[in-house]
Amino acid sequence: MKLKKLSNLIITLSCLAAATALAFLFFHLVPNNGSNIALIYILALIIIVRFTDGYLPGVFSSVVAVICVNFLFTYPYFALNFTLAGYPITFLEMLAVTLFVSTMTTHMKEQAKLIAERDKLLSEAEKEKMRANLLRAVSHDLRTPLTGIIGASSSYLENHDALTESEKNAIVTHIQEDANWLLNMVENLLSVTRIYNRSTKVKKTDESVEEVVSAAMLRLKKRIPDAQVGVSVPDELLIIPMDAILIEQVLLNLLENAIIHSQSREPILCYVEDNDKTVSFHVKDFGIGIAEDRVRDIFDGAPYIGSTESDSNKGMGIGLSICKTIITAHDGSINVRNHEQGAEFYFSLPKERPPHES
Amino acid sequence: MNPKKQLLLIEDERNICNFIMTTLKSNGYKVISALNAETGLSLAASQCPDLILLDLGLPDMDGIEVIRKIRSWGNLPIIVISARTQEREKVEALDAGADDYITKPFGTSEMMARVRTALRRSTSGSGQRSSDQNRYIAGNLVIDYEKHIITIDGEIIHFTQIEYKILTYLSRNAGRVITYDSLISHVWGPFADSNNRILRVNMANIRRKLENNPADPQYIFTEIGIGYRMIDNENQ
Repeated sequence: MKLKKLSNLIITLSCLAAATALAFLFFHLVPNNGSNIALIYILALIIIVRFTDGYLPGVFSSVVAVICVNFLFTYPYFALNFTLAGYPITFLEMLAVTLFVSTMTTHMKEQAKLIAERDKLLSEAEKEKMRANLLRAVSHDLRTPLTGIIGASSSYLENHDALTESEKNAIVTHIQEDANWLLNMVENLLSVTRIYNRSTKVKKTDESVEEVVSAAMLRLKKRIPDAQVGVSVPDELLIIPMDAILIEQVLLNLLENAIIHSQSREPILCYVEDNDKTVSFHVKDFGIGIAEDRVRDIFDGAPYIGSTESDSNKGMGIGLSICKTIITAHDGSINVRNHEQGAEFYFSLPKERPPHES
Repeated sequence: MNPKKQLLLIEDERNICNFIMTTLKSNGYKVISALNAETGLSLAASQCPDLILLDLGLPDMDGIEVIRKIRSWGNLPIIVISARTQEREKVEALDAGADDYITKPFGTSEMMARVRTALRRSTSGSGQRSSDQNRYIAGNLVIDYEKHIITIDGEIIHFTQIEYKILTYLSRNAGRVITYDSLISHVWGPFADSNNRILRVNMANIRRKLENNPADPQYIFTEIGIGYRMIDNENQ
Protein backbone atom coordinates (compact mmCIF):
# COMPACT_ATOMS: atom_id res chain seq x y z
CA MET A 1 0.00 0.00 0.00
CA LYS A 2 2.80 2.34 0.96
CA LEU A 3 4.62 1.38 -2.19
CA LYS A 4 1.52 2.17 -4.19
CA LYS A 5 1.31 5.64 -2.67
CA LEU A 6 4.98 6.26 -3.34
CA SER A 7 4.66 5.21 -6.96
CA ASN A 8 1.54 7.42 -7.33
CA LEU A 9 3.55 10.34 -6.01
CA ILE A 10 6.50 9.66 -8.26
CA ILE A 11 4.34 9.31 -11.37
CA THR A 12 2.42 12.47 -10.57
CA LEU A 13 5.48 14.60 -9.89
CA SER A 14 7.47 13.37 -12.85
CA CYS A 15 4.58 13.86 -15.27
CA LEU A 16 4.01 17.38 -14.00
CA ALA A 17 7.71 18.15 -14.23
CA ALA A 18 7.86 16.81 -17.77
CA ALA A 19 4.81 18.82 -18.77
CA THR A 20 6.27 21.99 -17.26
CA ALA A 21 9.54 21.45 -19.07
CA LEU A 22 7.75 20.89 -22.34
CA ALA A 23 5.58 23.93 -21.76
CA PHE A 24 8.68 26.07 -21.14
CA LEU A 25 10.11 24.88 -24.42
CA PHE A 26 6.94 25.78 -26.26
CA PHE A 27 6.65 29.06 -24.46
CA HIS A 28 10.09 30.17 -25.62
CA LEU A 29 9.94 28.77 -29.14
CA VAL A 30 6.42 29.81 -30.04
CA PRO A 31 5.34 33.04 -28.38
CA ASN A 32 1.69 33.74 -27.54
CA ASN A 33 0.62 30.16 -27.55
CA GLY A 34 -1.35 29.84 -24.30
CA SER A 35 -3.79 27.23 -25.58
CA ASN A 36 -1.00 24.76 -26.45
CA ILE A 37 0.39 25.06 -22.96
CA ALA A 38 -2.97 24.27 -21.42
CA LEU A 39 -3.29 21.26 -23.71
CA ILE A 40 0.10 19.95 -22.67
CA TYR A 41 -1.00 20.06 -19.07
CA ILE A 42 -4.25 18.32 -19.88
CA LEU A 43 -2.34 15.55 -21.63
CA ALA A 44 -0.14 15.18 -18.56
CA LEU A 45 -3.27 15.04 -16.36
CA ILE A 46 -4.75 12.24 -18.44
CA ILE A 47 -1.53 10.26 -18.28
CA ILE A 48 -1.29 10.73 -14.52
CA VAL A 49 -4.87 9.61 -13.99
CA ARG A 50 -4.41 6.56 -16.17
CA PHE A 51 -1.34 5.31 -14.35
CA THR A 52 -2.22 6.10 -10.74
CA ASP A 53 -4.90 4.84 -8.36
CA GLY A 54 -7.65 6.89 -6.75
CA TYR A 55 -8.80 10.45 -7.29
CA LEU A 56 -6.24 12.28 -5.18
CA PRO A 57 -3.35 12.39 -7.68
CA GLY A 58 -5.67 13.68 -10.40
CA VAL A 59 -7.23 16.44 -8.35
CA PHE A 60 -3.90 17.44 -6.89
CA SER A 61 -2.26 17.67 -10.29
CA SER A 62 -5.10 19.65 -11.82
CA VAL A 63 -4.73 22.25 -9.06
CA VAL A 64 -0.97 22.28 -9.61
CA ALA A 65 -1.45 22.56 -13.37
CA VAL A 66 -3.80 25.52 -13.05
CA ILE A 67 -1.44 27.28 -10.71
CA CYS A 68 1.51 26.59 -12.99
CA VAL A 69 -0.26 27.92 -16.02
CA ASN A 70 -1.23 31.01 -14.13
CA PHE A 71 2.08 31.52 -12.35
CA LEU A 72 4.51 30.66 -15.12
CA PHE A 73 2.90 31.15 -18.44
CA THR A 74 0.35 33.96 -18.21
CA TYR A 75 1.05 37.60 -17.80
CA PRO A 76 2.09 38.82 -15.24
CA TYR A 77 4.74 36.13 -15.14
CA PHE A 78 5.83 34.65 -11.79
CA ALA A 79 2.81 36.06 -10.03
CA LEU A 80 -0.57 34.66 -9.25
CA ASN A 81 -3.43 36.61 -10.73
CA PHE A 82 -6.81 34.97 -10.63
CA THR A 83 -8.68 38.02 -11.80
CA LEU A 84 -7.70 37.46 -15.42
CA ALA A 85 -10.66 37.29 -17.75
CA GLY A 86 -12.00 33.78 -18.27
CA TYR A 87 -9.54 32.36 -15.85
CA PRO A 88 -12.03 30.63 -13.51
CA ILE A 89 -13.44 28.87 -16.57
CA THR A 90 -10.03 27.43 -17.56
CA PHE A 91 -9.59 26.24 -14.01
CA LEU A 92 -13.01 24.59 -13.90
CA GLU A 93 -12.46 22.98 -17.27
CA MET A 94 -9.20 21.43 -16.20
CA LEU A 95 -10.70 20.17 -12.98
CA ALA A 96 -13.69 18.71 -14.83
CA VAL A 97 -11.51 16.92 -17.39
CA THR A 98 -9.38 15.44 -14.64
CA LEU A 99 -12.29 14.25 -12.56
CA PHE A 100 -14.06 12.82 -15.57
CA VAL A 101 -11.04 10.93 -16.86
CA SER A 102 -10.07 9.64 -13.46
CA THR A 103 -13.59 8.32 -12.78
CA MET A 104 -13.51 6.61 -16.13
CA THR A 105 -10.10 4.96 -15.69
CA THR A 106 -10.87 3.88 -12.14
CA HIS A 107 -14.01 2.28 -13.43
CA MET A 108 -12.12 0.69 -16.29
CA LYS A 109 -9.49 -0.75 -13.97
CA GLU A 110 -12.13 -2.22 -11.70
CA GLN A 111 -13.84 -3.83 -14.67
CA ALA A 112 -10.61 -5.34 -15.92
CA LYS A 113 -9.94 -6.74 -12.47
CA LEU A 114 -13.42 -8.23 -12.31
CA ILE A 115 -13.05 -9.83 -15.72
CA ALA A 116 -9.69 -11.31 -14.83
CA GLU A 117 -11.13 -12.77 -11.63
CA ARG A 118 -14.10 -14.24 -13.45
CA ASP A 119 -11.80 -15.76 -16.07
CA LYS A 120 -9.72 -17.35 -13.37
CA LEU A 121 -12.79 -18.79 -11.69
CA LEU A 122 -14.05 -20.08 -15.01
CA SER A 123 -10.81 -21.83 -15.89
CA GLU A 124 -10.69 -23.34 -12.40
CA ALA A 125 -14.22 -24.60 -12.89
CA GLU A 126 -13.24 -25.91 -16.31
CA LYS A 127 -10.33 -27.81 -14.82
CA GLU A 128 -12.50 -29.13 -12.03
CA LYS A 129 -15.07 -30.27 -14.56
CA MET A 130 -12.41 -32.03 -16.61
CA ARG A 131 -11.11 -33.79 -13.54
CA ALA A 132 -14.59 -34.87 -12.49
CA ASN A 133 -15.33 -36.15 -15.98
CA LEU A 134 -12.09 -38.05 -15.98
CA LEU A 135 -12.82 -39.67 -12.63
CA ARG A 136 -16.31 -40.59 -13.74
CA ALA A 137 -15.01 -42.10 -16.94
CA VAL A 138 -12.28 -43.96 -15.07
CA SER A 139 -14.59 -45.58 -12.56
CA HIS A 140 -17.10 -46.39 -15.25
CA ASP A 141 -14.44 -47.94 -17.42
CA LEU A 142 -12.56 -49.78 -14.69
CA ARG A 143 -15.58 -51.64 -13.42
CA THR A 144 -16.26 -53.52 -16.63
CA PRO A 145 -12.96 -55.41 -16.98
CA LEU A 146 -12.69 -55.91 -13.23
CA THR A 147 -16.10 -57.56 -13.19
CA GLY A 148 -14.89 -59.80 -15.98
CA ILE A 149 -11.68 -60.72 -14.20
CA ILE A 150 -13.31 -61.42 -10.86
CA GLY A 151 -16.13 -63.40 -12.44
CA ALA A 152 -13.91 -65.45 -14.70
CA SER A 153 -11.34 -66.26 -12.03
CA SER A 154 -13.93 -67.33 -9.45
CA SER A 155 -15.74 -69.40 -12.02
CA TYR A 156 -12.44 -71.10 -12.80
CA LEU A 157 -11.70 -71.81 -9.14
CA GLU A 158 -15.21 -72.95 -8.22
CA ASN A 159 -15.94 -75.11 -11.25
CA HIS A 160 -12.45 -76.34 -11.76
CA ASP A 161 -13.38 -80.00 -12.09
CA ALA A 162 -16.44 -79.53 -14.28
CA LEU A 163 -14.72 -77.42 -16.93
CA THR A 164 -13.17 -78.89 -20.04
CA GLU A 165 -9.65 -77.97 -21.01
CA SER A 166 -10.81 -75.63 -23.79
CA GLU A 167 -13.29 -73.89 -21.48
CA LYS A 168 -10.50 -73.30 -19.00
CA ASN A 169 -8.37 -71.86 -21.75
CA ALA A 170 -11.17 -69.54 -22.81
CA ILE A 171 -11.63 -68.28 -19.27
CA VAL A 172 -7.94 -67.55 -18.78
CA THR A 173 -7.76 -65.87 -22.16
CA HIS A 174 -10.60 -63.59 -21.12
CA ILE A 175 -8.82 -62.74 -17.91
CA GLN A 176 -5.73 -61.90 -19.88
CA GLU A 177 -7.62 -59.68 -22.31
CA ASP A 178 -9.32 -57.76 -19.54
CA ALA A 179 -6.07 -57.39 -17.63
CA ASN A 180 -4.35 -56.05 -20.74
CA TRP A 181 -7.13 -53.58 -21.17
CA LEU A 182 -6.73 -52.45 -17.56
CA LEU A 183 -3.02 -52.02 -18.12
CA ASN A 184 -3.71 -49.80 -21.10
CA MET A 185 -5.94 -47.63 -18.96
CA VAL A 186 -3.45 -47.38 -16.12
CA GLU A 187 -0.67 -46.36 -18.51
CA ASN A 188 -2.89 -43.63 -19.84
CA LEU A 189 -3.63 -42.39 -16.35
CA LEU A 190 0.05 -42.48 -15.50
CA SER A 191 0.86 -40.28 -18.45
CA VAL A 192 -1.60 -37.71 -17.13
CA THR A 193 0.19 -37.61 -13.79
CA ARG A 194 3.33 -36.83 -15.79
CA ILE A 195 1.62 -33.66 -16.91
CA TYR A 196 0.02 -32.65 -13.63
CA ASN A 197 3.34 -33.13 -11.86
CA ARG A 198 4.79 -30.35 -13.95
CA SER A 199 1.86 -27.97 -13.47
CA THR A 200 0.13 -28.65 -16.81
CA LYS A 201 3.18 -27.97 -18.95
CA VAL A 202 5.29 -30.77 -20.29
CA LYS A 203 9.04 -31.08 -20.35
CA LYS A 204 9.98 -30.94 -24.01
CA THR A 205 13.12 -32.21 -25.65
CA ASP A 206 13.97 -32.23 -29.34
CA GLU A 207 12.77 -35.55 -30.74
CA SER A 208 12.79 -37.12 -34.15
CA VAL A 209 9.22 -37.55 -35.39
CA GLU A 210 9.84 -40.80 -37.23
CA GLU A 211 11.34 -42.39 -34.15
CA VAL A 212 8.28 -41.57 -32.11
CA VAL A 213 5.98 -42.93 -34.81
CA SER A 214 7.99 -46.12 -35.15
CA ALA A 215 8.09 -46.61 -31.38
CA ALA A 216 4.31 -46.28 -31.26
CA MET A 217 4.03 -48.82 -34.09
CA LEU A 218 6.26 -51.22 -32.18
CA ARG A 219 4.12 -51.01 -29.08
CA LEU A 220 0.96 -51.38 -31.13
CA LYS A 221 2.26 -54.57 -32.72
CA LYS A 222 3.12 -55.94 -29.32
CA ARG A 223 -0.42 -55.33 -28.17
CA ILE A 224 -2.34 -56.22 -31.31
CA PRO A 225 -0.03 -58.51 -33.29
CA ASP A 226 -2.26 -58.70 -36.39
CA ALA A 227 -2.82 -54.93 -36.63
CA GLN A 228 -2.85 -53.68 -40.23
CA VAL A 229 -1.41 -50.18 -40.44
CA GLY A 230 -0.02 -48.37 -43.46
CA VAL A 231 2.42 -45.92 -41.91
CA SER A 232 4.54 -43.25 -43.55
CA VAL A 233 6.64 -40.22 -42.59
CA PRO A 234 8.06 -37.36 -44.70
CA ASP A 235 11.37 -38.00 -46.44
CA GLU A 236 12.97 -35.13 -44.64
CA LEU A 237 13.93 -35.73 -41.00
CA LEU A 238 11.68 -33.72 -38.67
CA ILE A 239 12.91 -32.85 -35.21
CA ILE A 240 10.44 -31.01 -32.99
CA PRO A 241 10.21 -30.31 -29.25
CA MET A 242 7.91 -32.66 -27.33
CA ASP A 243 7.62 -35.14 -24.50
CA ALA A 244 8.08 -38.19 -26.69
CA ILE A 245 6.67 -40.70 -24.21
CA LEU A 246 3.41 -38.77 -24.11
CA ILE A 247 3.14 -38.27 -27.87
CA GLU A 248 3.83 -41.96 -28.35
CA GLN A 249 0.95 -42.63 -25.96
CA VAL A 250 -1.36 -40.35 -27.98
CA LEU A 251 -0.47 -42.10 -31.22
CA LEU A 252 -0.94 -45.50 -29.64
CA ASN A 253 -4.37 -44.51 -28.29
CA LEU A 254 -5.51 -43.20 -31.66
CA LEU A 255 -4.23 -46.25 -33.54
CA GLU A 256 -5.74 -48.65 -31.06
CA ASN A 257 -9.07 -46.84 -31.11
CA ALA A 258 -9.09 -46.92 -34.88
CA ILE A 259 -8.50 -50.66 -34.92
CA ILE A 260 -10.92 -51.56 -32.17
CA HIS A 261 -13.77 -49.13 -32.80
CA SER A 262 -13.88 -48.66 -36.54
CA GLN A 263 -15.48 -52.12 -36.95
CA SER A 264 -13.60 -52.62 -40.16
CA ARG A 265 -10.76 -54.87 -41.27
CA GLU A 266 -9.39 -52.33 -43.73
CA PRO A 267 -5.83 -51.27 -42.89
CA ILE A 268 -5.52 -48.06 -40.89
CA LEU A 269 -3.51 -45.20 -42.38
CA CYS A 270 -1.06 -43.31 -40.20
CA TYR A 271 0.93 -40.48 -41.73
CA VAL A 272 2.79 -37.33 -40.79
CA GLU A 273 2.60 -33.99 -42.61
CA ASP A 274 5.18 -31.24 -42.50
CA ASN A 275 3.33 -27.92 -42.42
CA ASP A 276 4.58 -24.38 -42.25
CA LYS A 277 4.73 -23.91 -38.49
CA THR A 278 3.44 -27.24 -37.25
CA VAL A 279 3.80 -30.96 -37.81
CA SER A 280 0.54 -32.86 -38.03
CA PHE A 281 -0.06 -36.54 -37.31
CA HIS A 282 -3.02 -38.31 -38.90
CA VAL A 283 -4.72 -41.60 -38.07
CA LYS A 284 -7.32 -42.50 -40.64
CA ASP A 285 -9.61 -45.52 -40.53
CA PHE A 286 -12.07 -46.88 -43.07
CA GLY A 287 -14.84 -47.94 -40.74
CA ILE A 288 -18.17 -46.74 -39.43
CA GLY A 289 -17.05 -43.19 -38.68
CA ILE A 290 -18.01 -41.09 -35.67
CA ALA A 291 -21.65 -40.22 -34.94
CA GLU A 292 -22.15 -36.54 -35.77
CA ASP A 293 -23.40 -35.68 -32.27
CA ARG A 294 -20.18 -37.11 -30.83
CA VAL A 295 -17.73 -35.22 -33.02
CA ARG A 296 -17.97 -32.09 -30.93
CA ASP A 297 -17.44 -33.52 -27.43
CA ILE A 298 -15.60 -36.76 -28.16
CA PHE A 299 -12.45 -35.43 -26.44
CA ASP A 300 -14.26 -34.27 -23.31
CA GLY A 301 -13.92 -37.51 -21.42
CA ALA A 302 -17.58 -37.97 -20.62
CA PRO A 303 -18.50 -41.64 -20.88
CA TYR A 304 -20.71 -42.29 -23.84
CA ILE A 305 -24.20 -43.15 -22.66
CA GLY A 306 -25.52 -44.07 -26.06
CA SER A 307 -28.63 -46.10 -26.77
CA THR A 308 -26.69 -48.88 -28.43
CA GLU A 309 -23.47 -50.80 -27.91
CA SER A 310 -22.32 -48.69 -24.99
CA ASP A 311 -19.89 -51.39 -23.97
CA SER A 312 -18.19 -51.69 -27.31
CA ASN A 313 -17.27 -48.07 -26.74
CA LYS A 314 -15.62 -48.70 -23.42
CA GLY A 315 -12.47 -46.80 -22.83
CA MET A 316 -12.68 -44.68 -25.91
CA GLY A 317 -13.76 -41.66 -23.87
CA ILE A 318 -10.93 -41.69 -21.43
CA GLY A 319 -8.19 -42.43 -23.93
CA LEU A 320 -9.26 -39.51 -26.07
CA SER A 321 -9.64 -37.09 -23.19
CA ILE A 322 -6.10 -37.98 -22.18
CA CYS A 323 -4.93 -37.39 -25.74
CA LYS A 324 -6.49 -33.95 -25.59
CA THR A 325 -4.87 -33.17 -22.24
CA ILE A 326 -1.48 -34.20 -23.60
CA ILE A 327 -1.77 -32.25 -26.85
CA THR A 328 -3.08 -29.15 -25.10
CA ALA A 329 -0.15 -29.26 -22.73
CA HIS A 330 2.08 -29.22 -25.83
CA ASP A 331 0.33 -26.06 -27.15
CA GLY A 332 -1.00 -28.17 -30.00
CA SER A 333 -4.49 -29.05 -31.18
CA ILE A 334 -6.35 -32.31 -31.72
CA ASN A 335 -9.42 -32.90 -33.86
CA VAL A 336 -11.59 -35.47 -35.52
CA ARG A 337 -13.52 -35.43 -38.77
CA ASN A 338 -15.45 -37.92 -40.84
CA HIS A 339 -14.29 -38.54 -44.38
CA GLU A 340 -16.22 -40.46 -47.01
CA GLN A 341 -15.23 -43.89 -45.74
CA GLY A 342 -14.58 -43.52 -42.06
CA ALA A 343 -13.07 -41.32 -39.39
CA GLU A 344 -9.83 -39.39 -39.20
CA PHE A 345 -8.18 -38.24 -36.00
CA TYR A 346 -5.38 -35.75 -36.36
CA PHE A 347 -3.28 -33.58 -34.11
CA SER A 348 -0.61 -31.00 -34.72
CA LEU A 349 2.36 -29.85 -32.69
CA PRO A 350 4.23 -26.55 -33.03
CA LYS A 351 7.70 -26.80 -34.55
CA GLU A 352 9.17 -24.09 -32.38
CA ARG A 353 9.08 -23.66 -28.67
CA PRO A 354 6.97 -20.73 -27.51
CA PRO A 355 9.34 -17.89 -26.53
CA HIS A 356 8.64 -18.14 -22.80
CA GLU A 357 10.03 -21.67 -22.68
CA SER A 358 13.37 -21.26 -24.35
CA MET B 1 21.19 -78.93 -23.16
CA ASN B 2 24.40 -78.30 -21.24
CA PRO B 3 24.27 -78.06 -17.44
CA LYS B 4 21.35 -75.97 -16.32
CA LYS B 5 21.98 -72.25 -16.19
CA GLN B 6 21.34 -70.74 -12.80
CA LEU B 7 19.50 -67.44 -12.60
CA LEU B 8 19.06 -65.16 -9.63
CA LEU B 9 15.85 -63.17 -9.33
CA ILE B 10 15.78 -60.17 -6.99
CA GLU B 11 12.18 -58.96 -6.72
CA ASP B 12 10.17 -57.89 -3.68
CA GLU B 13 6.64 -58.57 -4.99
CA ARG B 14 5.80 -62.17 -4.15
CA ASN B 15 3.21 -62.56 -6.92
CA ILE B 16 5.54 -61.33 -9.62
CA CYS B 17 8.37 -63.36 -8.15
CA ASN B 18 6.27 -66.52 -8.31
CA PHE B 19 5.22 -66.07 -11.87
CA ILE B 20 8.70 -65.29 -13.12
CA MET B 21 10.14 -68.28 -11.29
CA THR B 22 7.49 -70.61 -12.69
CA THR B 23 8.16 -69.40 -16.22
CA LEU B 24 11.93 -69.68 -15.93
CA LYS B 25 11.77 -73.13 -14.36
CA SER B 26 9.41 -74.45 -17.01
CA ASN B 27 11.89 -73.19 -19.60
CA GLY B 28 14.64 -75.30 -18.10
CA TYR B 29 16.55 -72.84 -15.90
CA LYS B 30 17.49 -73.18 -12.27
CA VAL B 31 16.23 -70.19 -10.31
CA ILE B 32 17.06 -68.82 -6.91
CA SER B 33 15.25 -65.77 -5.60
CA ALA B 34 15.69 -63.00 -3.08
CA LEU B 35 13.02 -60.64 -1.81
CA ASN B 36 15.38 -57.78 -0.98
CA ALA B 37 18.66 -56.31 -2.12
CA GLU B 38 20.72 -57.48 0.83
CA THR B 39 19.91 -61.18 0.42
CA GLY B 40 20.18 -60.74 -3.32
CA LEU B 41 23.69 -59.34 -3.10
CA SER B 42 24.92 -62.08 -0.77
CA LEU B 43 23.33 -64.78 -2.97
CA ALA B 44 24.92 -63.23 -6.03
CA ALA B 45 28.34 -63.39 -4.38
CA SER B 46 28.00 -66.90 -2.93
CA GLN B 47 26.16 -68.70 -5.76
CA CYS B 48 27.71 -66.98 -8.77
CA PRO B 49 24.59 -67.18 -10.94
CA ASP B 50 24.82 -66.97 -14.73
CA LEU B 51 22.43 -64.03 -14.87
CA ILE B 52 20.62 -61.68 -12.52
CA LEU B 53 17.09 -60.37 -12.98
CA LEU B 54 16.81 -57.27 -10.84
CA ASP B 55 13.75 -55.23 -9.97
CA LEU B 56 14.70 -51.57 -9.60
CA GLY B 57 12.12 -50.74 -6.95
CA LEU B 58 13.47 -52.67 -3.97
CA PRO B 59 12.54 -51.67 -0.44
CA ASP B 60 15.98 -51.67 1.16
CA MET B 61 18.33 -50.31 -1.49
CA ASP B 62 18.30 -48.29 -4.66
CA GLY B 63 18.43 -50.60 -7.68
CA ILE B 64 21.21 -48.54 -9.29
CA GLU B 65 23.29 -49.04 -6.15
CA VAL B 66 22.76 -52.81 -6.40
CA ILE B 67 24.02 -52.78 -10.00
CA ARG B 68 27.13 -50.82 -9.01
CA LYS B 69 27.84 -53.19 -6.14
CA ILE B 70 27.60 -56.23 -8.39
CA ARG B 71 29.67 -54.57 -11.12
CA SER B 72 32.40 -53.82 -8.58
CA TRP B 73 33.31 -57.51 -8.50
CA GLY B 74 31.75 -59.27 -11.45
CA ASN B 75 30.74 -59.02 -15.05
CA LEU B 76 27.75 -61.35 -15.08
CA PRO B 77 24.77 -60.15 -17.10
CA ILE B 78 22.10 -58.13 -15.30
CA ILE B 79 18.62 -57.58 -16.68
CA VAL B 80 16.68 -54.82 -15.01
CA ILE B 81 12.91 -54.92 -14.50
CA SER B 82 11.30 -51.49 -14.44
CA ALA B 83 8.07 -49.58 -15.10
CA ARG B 84 7.45 -47.90 -18.41
CA THR B 85 7.34 -44.21 -17.62
CA GLN B 86 10.61 -44.12 -15.71
CA GLU B 87 12.93 -43.80 -18.68
CA ARG B 88 15.41 -41.78 -16.63
CA GLU B 89 15.81 -44.68 -14.25
CA LYS B 90 16.33 -47.13 -17.09
CA VAL B 91 19.05 -45.00 -18.64
CA GLU B 92 20.79 -44.71 -15.28
CA ALA B 93 20.61 -48.46 -14.79
CA LEU B 94 22.05 -49.15 -18.25
CA ASP B 95 24.79 -46.60 -17.77
CA ALA B 96 25.60 -48.13 -14.39
CA GLY B 97 26.31 -51.42 -16.15
CA ALA B 98 23.01 -53.28 -16.56
CA ASP B 99 22.90 -55.26 -19.80
CA ASP B 100 19.27 -54.83 -20.68
CA TYR B 101 15.88 -54.06 -19.25
CA ILE B 102 12.33 -55.38 -19.44
CA THR B 103 9.41 -53.06 -19.00
CA LYS B 104 6.73 -54.01 -16.51
CA PRO B 105 4.34 -55.59 -17.26
CA PHE B 106 5.87 -58.01 -19.73
CA GLY B 107 4.87 -61.21 -21.44
CA THR B 108 6.74 -64.41 -20.77
CA SER B 109 8.00 -64.71 -24.34
CA GLU B 110 9.55 -61.25 -24.18
CA MET B 111 11.26 -62.06 -20.92
CA MET B 112 12.62 -65.36 -22.21
CA ALA B 113 13.98 -63.70 -25.35
CA ARG B 114 15.87 -61.15 -23.25
CA VAL B 115 17.23 -63.81 -20.95
CA ARG B 116 18.46 -65.93 -23.88
CA THR B 117 20.08 -62.92 -25.57
CA ALA B 118 21.87 -61.87 -22.40
CA LEU B 119 23.10 -65.39 -21.64
CA ARG B 120 24.32 -65.94 -25.18
CA ARG B 121 26.24 -62.69 -25.17
CA SER B 122 27.95 -63.49 -21.91
CA THR B 123 29.10 -66.93 -23.13
CA SER B 124 30.20 -65.78 -26.58
CA GLY B 125 32.01 -62.80 -25.09
CA SER B 126 34.11 -64.91 -22.76
CA GLY B 127 34.48 -68.01 -24.85
CA GLN B 128 35.88 -68.77 -28.25
CA ARG B 129 35.41 -66.38 -31.08
CA SER B 130 34.21 -68.41 -34.00
CA SER B 131 34.78 -67.19 -37.53
CA ASP B 132 31.02 -66.75 -37.82
CA GLN B 133 31.33 -63.89 -35.37
CA ASN B 134 32.75 -61.81 -38.18
CA ARG B 135 29.34 -61.43 -39.67
CA TYR B 136 26.02 -60.09 -38.56
CA ILE B 137 22.95 -61.45 -40.32
CA ALA B 138 19.33 -60.42 -39.81
CA GLY B 139 16.72 -60.93 -42.49
CA ASN B 140 18.21 -59.64 -45.73
CA LEU B 141 20.85 -57.58 -43.99
CA VAL B 142 24.43 -58.80 -43.74
CA ILE B 143 27.26 -56.88 -42.10
CA ASP B 144 30.71 -58.23 -42.84
CA TYR B 145 33.01 -56.77 -40.20
CA GLU B 146 36.21 -58.01 -41.84
CA LYS B 147 35.53 -56.65 -45.26
CA HIS B 148 33.69 -53.57 -43.99
CA ILE B 149 30.79 -54.37 -46.30
CA ILE B 150 27.10 -54.05 -45.63
CA THR B 151 24.65 -55.69 -48.01
CA ILE B 152 20.89 -55.95 -48.31
CA ASP B 153 19.62 -58.71 -50.60
CA GLY B 154 23.21 -59.16 -51.71
CA GLU B 155 23.46 -55.56 -52.86
CA ILE B 156 26.16 -53.40 -51.35
CA ILE B 157 24.92 -50.31 -49.51
CA HIS B 158 27.30 -47.41 -48.93
CA PHE B 159 27.52 -45.84 -45.53
CA THR B 160 29.63 -42.99 -44.25
CA GLN B 161 32.38 -43.63 -41.72
CA ILE B 162 30.18 -42.45 -38.84
CA GLU B 163 27.17 -44.41 -40.01
CA TYR B 164 29.27 -47.55 -40.31
CA LYS B 165 30.62 -47.03 -36.80
CA ILE B 166 27.11 -46.67 -35.41
CA LEU B 167 25.91 -49.77 -37.25
CA THR B 168 28.77 -51.98 -36.13
CA TYR B 169 28.37 -50.89 -32.52
CA LEU B 170 24.62 -51.54 -32.56
CA SER B 171 24.94 -54.84 -34.40
CA ARG B 172 27.73 -56.15 -32.19
CA ASN B 173 25.34 -55.50 -29.31
CA ALA B 174 22.32 -56.72 -31.23
CA GLY B 175 19.26 -57.55 -29.19
CA ARG B 176 20.18 -55.18 -26.41
CA VAL B 177 19.38 -51.53 -25.99
CA ILE B 178 22.21 -49.03 -26.38
CA THR B 179 21.71 -45.68 -24.69
CA TYR B 180 22.18 -42.42 -26.60
CA ASP B 181 25.10 -41.46 -24.39
CA SER B 182 26.97 -44.70 -24.79
CA LEU B 183 26.46 -44.61 -28.55
CA ILE B 184 27.66 -41.02 -28.76
CA SER B 185 30.73 -41.62 -26.64
CA HIS B 186 31.57 -44.76 -28.61
CA VAL B 187 31.27 -43.12 -32.02
CA TRP B 188 32.39 -39.56 -31.39
CA GLY B 189 34.62 -40.18 -28.38
CA PRO B 190 34.12 -39.62 -24.66
CA PHE B 191 34.33 -35.85 -24.84
CA ALA B 192 31.74 -35.39 -27.54
CA ASP B 193 28.86 -33.02 -27.00
CA SER B 194 26.03 -35.03 -25.52
CA ASN B 195 23.51 -33.13 -27.63
CA ASN B 196 22.05 -36.01 -29.57
CA ARG B 197 20.73 -34.07 -32.55
CA ILE B 198 23.64 -35.16 -34.71
CA LEU B 199 23.02 -38.75 -33.64
CA ARG B 200 19.37 -38.39 -34.67
CA VAL B 201 20.38 -37.09 -38.07
CA ASN B 202 22.79 -39.97 -38.62
CA MET B 203 20.19 -42.48 -37.48
CA ALA B 204 17.68 -40.97 -39.90
CA ASN B 205 20.17 -41.39 -42.76
CA ILE B 206 20.92 -44.96 -41.77
CA ARG B 207 17.21 -45.71 -41.60
CA ARG B 208 16.68 -44.36 -45.09
CA LYS B 209 19.40 -46.59 -46.49
CA LEU B 210 18.49 -49.67 -44.48
CA GLU B 211 14.77 -49.79 -43.97
CA ASN B 212 11.97 -50.12 -46.48
CA ASN B 213 9.82 -47.81 -44.41
CA PRO B 214 11.57 -45.56 -41.89
CA ALA B 215 8.32 -45.26 -39.92
CA ASP B 216 8.03 -49.01 -39.53
CA PRO B 217 11.61 -50.29 -39.24
CA GLN B 218 12.65 -53.94 -39.32
CA TYR B 219 16.24 -53.70 -38.16
CA ILE B 220 16.80 -50.85 -35.74
CA PHE B 221 14.16 -49.96 -33.17
CA THR B 222 13.89 -46.80 -31.12
CA GLU B 223 13.29 -47.02 -27.41
CA ILE B 224 11.88 -43.59 -26.69
CA GLY B 225 13.96 -41.58 -24.25
CA ILE B 226 16.53 -44.37 -23.88
CA GLY B 227 18.31 -45.41 -27.03
CA TYR B 228 18.30 -47.90 -29.90
CA ARG B 229 18.01 -51.63 -30.16
CA MET B 230 19.12 -53.60 -33.20
CA ILE B 231 17.35 -56.83 -34.05
CA ASP B 232 19.07 -60.03 -32.87
CA ASN B 233 21.88 -61.54 -34.88
CA GLU B 234 20.66 -64.73 -36.55
CA ASN B 235 24.21 -65.85 -37.15
CA GLN B 236 24.85 -67.38 -33.73
